[in-house]
This record gives sequence, structure tokens and C-alpha cells, in this order.
Amino acid sequence: MQRLHGNNSFSSGGERALPFLLLAPTLLVLLALSIYPLVYAVRVSLQTGTGAGARWSLDNFTRLFSDGFFLSALLHTLVYAVVALSFEFLLGLLLAVLLNQEMRGRSVFRAALLVPMMLPSVVVGVVWRLALNPNFGAINGTLKSLGLNTESLTWTASPRLAFLSVIAVDVWQWMPFVFLILLAGLQAIPQEPYEAARIDGSSTWQTFRYITLPLLKPAILIVLLLRTMDLLRVFDQIFILTEGGPGFATETISLYIYRAAFRFGNFGYAAAMSFVLLIVTNAISLVYIRLLQKQETA
Amino acid sequence: MLKRPLRLKTITFTFVSILFISLLSASCGRDSGGGGKQLTLAVNAGVEGDALKQAARDYEAQTGVHINIVEFPYSNLFDKELVDLSARTGAYDLIMLDDPWFPRFAGEEYLADLMPLYKKKNLAGPDDDFVQTSLALCRHPYSTGTLYALPYLGNSQLFFYRKDIFEKHGLKEPQSWEDVLQSARVISEREMTGAPGGGRLYGYVMRAAQGNAAVADFMPIFWAFGAEMFDAEGRATVNSAEGINALRFMLELGKSAPPGYSSFNADEVSAHLLQGTAAMSINWPAWIAAFSDPNKSKVIGKMAFTTMPGAAKPGQAEIGNWLIAIPRDARNAEAAFDFLVWVTSAEQLKRSALRGNPPTRRSVFNDPELVAKFPTYPVQLRSLETSRPRPRTPRWNEIENAFGIFLSKANSGELSPEDAMNQANAEIMKIVERK
Repeated sequence: MQRLHGNNSFSSGGERALPFLLLAPTLLVLLALSIYPLVYAVRVSLQTGTGAGARWSLDNFTRLFSDGFFLSALLHTLVYAVVALSFEFLLGLLLAVLLNQEMRGRSVFRAALLVPMMLPSVVVGVVWRLALNPNFGAINGTLKSLGLNTESLTWTASPRLAFLSVIAVDVWQWMPFVFLILLAGLQAIPQEPYEAARIDGSSTWQTFRYITLPLLKPAILIVLLLRTMDLLRVFDQIFILTEGGPGFATETISLYIYRAAFRFGNFGYAAAMSFVLLIVTNAISLVYIRLLQKQETA
Repeated sequence: MLKRPLRLKTITFTFVSILFISLLSASCGRDSGGGGKQLTLAVNAGVEGDALKQAARDYEAQTGVHINIVEFPYSNLFDKELVDLSARTGAYDLIMLDDPWFPRFAGEEYLADLMPLYKKKNLAGPDDDFVQTSLALCRHPYSTGTLYALPYLGNSQLFFYRKDIFEKHGLKEPQSWEDVLQSARVISEREMTGAPGGGRLYGYVMRAAQGNAAVADFMPIFWAFGAEMFDAEGRATVNSAEGINALRFMLELGKSAPPGYSSFNADEVSAHLLQGTAAMSINWPAWIAAFSDPNKSKVIGKMAFTTMPGAAKPGQAEIGNWLIAIPRDARNAEAAFDFLVWVTSAEQLKRSALRGNPPTRRSVFNDPELVAKFPTYPVQLRSLETSRPRPRTPRWNEIENAFGIFLSKANSGELSPEDAMNQANAEIMKIVERK
């Protein structure tokens, strides 16, 4: 009724409170599911021992620097991310550019390319684990029937091959995602600059280098950002495919965190490692976001 | 402007009521758990837990005590129990646990001492029918200390080999690891097309994937060679001359194994045995039944099972028992104890055996009806009675993980046996010494 009288002070007050009211349920959920666990994780990471024997200390963080397993898991994660991202990006870009042209059967290719991405990572892990089995697997079976000697092709059993295998599986699964985003980016580029370039007589490479790439930059940065974050925390396929082995060859930081927490019951140390992963991921993401902002203001 | 505080009040009210409602519903959930004849039992999802679940249903029908069963897959059971026991929620009255976890749970004083409960019931304690090596696992410290659990399922490793192939080449049942190696070489060389379908039949197959797999398949060799993981003062000694020799031997044996064995786990090893592409292995009794299943096995009636070969020392298998314990903060400890005594009685363990679980009592292993049904029971009992536990340390999971990584590295050719054992030793020392 007050509104009918045009009570200005109420409506402005109500409007100011309204966003908070509408946000309240979300904030509550966020508080319960993100903020509280985060604060709890900080607390746990600053404690050693469990139950009655728990005490405050920085041991979990100082231990990180002397833990060879942690350092090599971190290194594996970074190498994995860089190599997989490079392949996914280059292949994805190539395919996006190719399938952006008019050609026969384009829609079939596009649909087929998206299949791996739609599979759950666990399924991908199991499928490849079976396919890569050196003795009963489909890959060595095929090679054998072609008359090749597969004795030394123990895909997940020798350290180097295993690392390449897990990278290859990631590329197989996630290159389509890069392709999809880049294709969308390509299709959003207006035709005018291309027409102008054609009139000015620019070569295909020049058109690609000076028109396509700069105009595709926002899509490129976004896809790199998303993939980097995903790659740094990779867990499921590797867990199924090699469980970090042979030895420690494919152990990534997420696997090691899982082990510390759920196998060894050492939640404090796992939390400390998670913070390192969080900082690394945030630092890298920040670089991308800065570049993206620069792009927007330019 | 005057009305704004009112709006804030509304928001506060909404917050508070939501909080209140959620707290109320949470506390309701807790109340219904206490009082009355009710027990909550945490079990492993799988064949071991299934028999216990069925026993619990029988118990319900007999006594009217309601039993809630909470089931977790093996990979989650340890952390669920650890979190609950350390938070002292008293959510479980009984927990099923794998024996390597016991030193951690008992060491942190999370479990109830069973002797006062025996006294309350005017019972002397666990009877002599339990296999000694199984009951020893339930005491902290090992074998001599306080009784915190009772053994429910009595597994220990067995040595599996193809008796038809052994007969064909005039080989005798292996008594020592040297016999195993010689036989493995003979079979790998002579059976280039010996597998069903014309593939190669390898002499030996083992699990050398990092973690539990490699360690479990290595320990019988390690012990037989006279190596020990710790000395009397608790210092790691895996890089002793005996330890390094044992690992060298494992790599020698690996030359007669299918390629890629350094990433094998239980599934791959069993597949090789069932498909007839490997002739020998260490494995757990749970796999025995599969060999006579025509859907899985190409080697029906051809597999023999025996105790662990020896070397410098007599052969010893690794023991792997499932135990049942009562958490110290259990709400119905006495009722839980009644169930525990009942379910580990000879009569109930026989029923559990018929459901596929090896027992922990001698009388059940020797039961004629069971021996007729499970001809390997005499061998299983001999293996169990001479078996050895994994080193009793609260940090076993972590030590096993580290040790397994270096064993796997040696088997995949990444490290020499000396380097692998030296690095493993340093890593194990680091884990033991950490505060």
C-alpha cells in the first residue's frame, strides 16, 4: 500500500535490500559448501596429528620442499599440462580452420569429433586401459595382425611410454573441446575484413596471421584458460589408466593429494598440497585473464 | 530510509530460520540412532562384506536386534572409518577392517578393549580354536598386547601353478624360489605356443604395479631371502644385502613374465592365469573359485595350489585378514560385542565359508563337509598358520606406497635394484621418523 503513495524512501531501501535477499540462498549454499570447507582446510593444513594428538604447526608446508614425491608430482603435472595443451591447441585450431570451410560431409566430421568429449573421463580411462593392454589390448592386437613386433610396446608399463600414453588419451578426449570453442570463434568473425584482404591481394597465410588469429584471440585465451585449469587438476583418466605408475612416472599432483588424504589418512598434508595447486592454478589463470582484459581494452 | 532496518531484519530472520530448520533436522537424525536394540555396522562392499551382511540379517531374525548396514567400497572404507573414529561420532557400533589398518586404529586408541566385555559376560576370552596368526593380528602391540578385534576372514597368499604343464616337462612342485625360477625359464622357453589359441605361455606372472600390488607379490620373496623391512630398533633395512638380492631375483623372475608386468595388478595377473598364458603366480584364495568356472577359465582342473616356496628361510605367505572391531565411542558396545562373538563362532564362520569366505578357525578349516566342497582348505590352513603379517606400523599404507613405487621402478627398468632399495630405504626412514 505504501508503494501506491509513492513512498520513495521505502522503494529505494527495498531495492537496495532486494539483491541481497535474492542472493541470500546462493550465499548460504556457498558459505556451507565452499567457504566453510576452505576455512576448515586452512585449519587442517596448519595441524599435524589427528584427534587428541593434533597440534598447530607449519610442518605440512615445510615438508613440501623436502618431499621428493611431491616435487616430482608437481613437475609431472606441469609437463603434462604444457605438452597436452600444446597438442590440443594446435590440433584443435587446425581442425577448426579446416572444418570452417565449406566442404562435403562437414557436419558428420563435426559430430564425430565431439564424441570423445561427451564420454565421462572414467569411461575413457577404462576403454583406453583395455585398448592399451600390451597382451590382450586392441592396439597391440591390431599391430600384431599387421605383422609388427609389439614385444616392446608396453604402453602403460614403461615410464616414458606411459607418460606419452596418458597425454595422448587427454588429447584424444579434450582436443574436440578446443576445436568446438575455436570453431565458434571462427564463425563469429565477420566476413568484411576477409573481403578487404582479398581485394588487397593478401596471401592465405597473411590472412590467417593478420586477420583470423587477432580476431580469434578472445576465444583462444578462453579455451587456453579453461584447459589449463582442467589439466592442472587432472585426476580420473590417469587414476584409471595407470594409477600414477609405473613407479611414479605418471603421478600428478591431484593423485598424490588423493593418496595422502584418503589412503594415508593425512588430511593436513593433503590440504597443504591442495593450496599449492590452488596458487599455481590461480597464478597461471591470472596471466590469461590479464591478457584477455588487455585484449578487451585494446 | 527508516524502513531499511526492517528489511535487514527480514533477511536475518530468513537466515536464522533456515539455519534452525537445518539444525533441527540434523539433530533429529542423530536422536533416532541412540537407545533401543539397534546396531550400525560398517562393511566392505564386496564378497567379504556380503557374507557379513547376510549374517546380520540372520541375527536380526534370531534376536530382534535391528542392524543398520553401511556399505563402502574398499577404497573408501578406510578413510570413512578413520574420519568417523577420529571425530569420535560413535556412528558405528561395529566396523569391518582390513588388518593393515589395525595398528593405526588401535594405536590412536579408537577401538574398544574387548577383555572387559568378555569379563562382563563371564567369558574367559577368545578360545584356542582361532588360528593363532589371525588372532595375533587383533592385538596391539602385535600378538602380545590388548585385544581390540576378532578375526572374521582368514586369507593368506597361496602359490598357484599349472600342474599339467609341470608334469609335461617333468618338473616338481616348487619347494624353493630357485625351483620357481628354473621352472619358469623352462616353461617360457619350451611353451612358445603353449597357450590356448597358440600364444606364448609365460613361466611366471606377477603384479609389479606400484603400491600394494608390487609389495604384496614381493614380500614372500623378500622374507624368504632373509631380508627384513625393519630392525629391532625400528630402522628401515630394506637395502640390506638380502633385500637387494631379493629384488634382483624378482627382476630375474620378471624375465619369464609377460611383457609389461611392471604395470600389472590383480586383474591382469588373473587374466593371464585364467587364459592359460602364464603358469605360476602368487595369488589370494578369493581367485580359486574362478579357475573352475567355465565362463572365465580356460584351465579348468589344471591349476594346483600350494604354500609359499622358501629360500634361505622357509617360505611364508603374507596374511590378509578382515577383522571386526568395536569403536571406543560405539553407542551400544555391549550389544555389539554379543553380535561380534556370535558372528565369529564356529557355526557362523562355517556359514560364512559356505558363502565363499575363508574362515579364521581351525575347526572350520578342518570341517569334512567344507573340505569336500573346498579341497584347498588344508593347504590354505597350512599357509595361514605359517603366514606373516605386513610390518605392524600405523603408517603402513604410506610405507607400502613408497616401497611399491621403487619396486615398480626397478621392474620397469628405471632404477637398478641397488638404487631402488637405497632410495626406498631413505624414503621409508623419512616416513617413520616424521613426527
